[in-house]
Amino acid sequence: MAKKILVVDDSKTALMMEREILEKRTNYQCVTAADGQEAVEKAQQEHPDLVLMDVVMPRMNGFEACKMMRQHASTREIPIVLITTRGEESYMEAGFQSGCNDYITKPIDGAELVALLQSYLGE
Amino acid sequence: MNDNQSEASGSKRSGADATNDLRLSAARKRLAESRGQEDAIEGLREIVANFLGSEEIGLLMVDQTTAALQVFWSFGIDPEKYDLLLALGDAGRERVMGGECHVELAARDRSGAMAKVQAFVPIRLANQTIAILAILRLLPQKHAFDGSDMELFKLLSDEAAMPLFGTHSKPAADERSSDEPGMRA
Repeated sequence: MAKKILVVDDSKTALMMEREILEKRTNYQCVTAADGQEAVEKAQQEHPDLVLMDVVMPRMNGFEACKMMRQHASTREIPIVLITTRGEESYMEAGFQSGCNDYITKPIDGAELVALLQSYLGE
Repeated sequence: MNDNQSEASGSKRSGADATNDLRLSAARKRLAESRGQEDAIEGLREIVANFLGSEEIGLLMVDQTTAALQVFWSFGIDPEKYDLLLALGDAGRERVMGGECHVELAARDRSGAMAKVQAFVPIRLANQTIAILAILRLLPQKHAFDGSDMELFKLLSDEAAMPLFGTHSKPAADERSSDEPGMRA
């Protein structure tokens, strides 16, 4: 059975690109959400194998969504990779404090993203 | 170079090319699917932020009668500190009006401090530059523009005009009112 990734981004452009990378370069199944609140809900419904999530989003940002997922028993163990334009060390530190497993910065390198996902999910 | 090296190098290149193709395809699709001017401007901002690595962006309009430039829209730029026309300069303006991208590795702002890489991309329609996309200061993790960025500049130059300023934009464009941000000069 294909591994499932929940991709979360409020930018239609970023979502389009991330989805294309996953669909064309991996065998993972992809489900999407447009903000942190929707991500928390979808994570509980869909039980993804990994969450790939933007940080700056309306309604609920990636840090808050990450904390929420860590508080729920059904989503506590899901690997979360945060993805953002902000590459400062303090920002990354805040990401790890919110409970994420990894952090990558935009612009996305497709090969780097696939390699990172495979390190969690295998091929 | 032996066959194995050549194959390895080819495989590496095709990986980067594939990512670039996906990026170009996503940018093209985002622009084409824009529903009106405001959404097209948001699409442009998303493309620059996500694919080119900048969150300081401006759009200058060219008056087709007088060739005067006017700031049409900006994002993340302090207009008190950064004058887009000054940043473009006369030489840059000449190049961009002629249809070429103008990319600078460093520039000075009004305070004399060095700014990082900046690019000015002509938005072309019917062989004329009708607007100029200004991209200022890259994100800290991005140090320079590369060949794949130039391909994206070319795509924006050739394909952004209609979604941004075309009269036959999708329905939302027809419903826009003059008080929308994108309509303000």
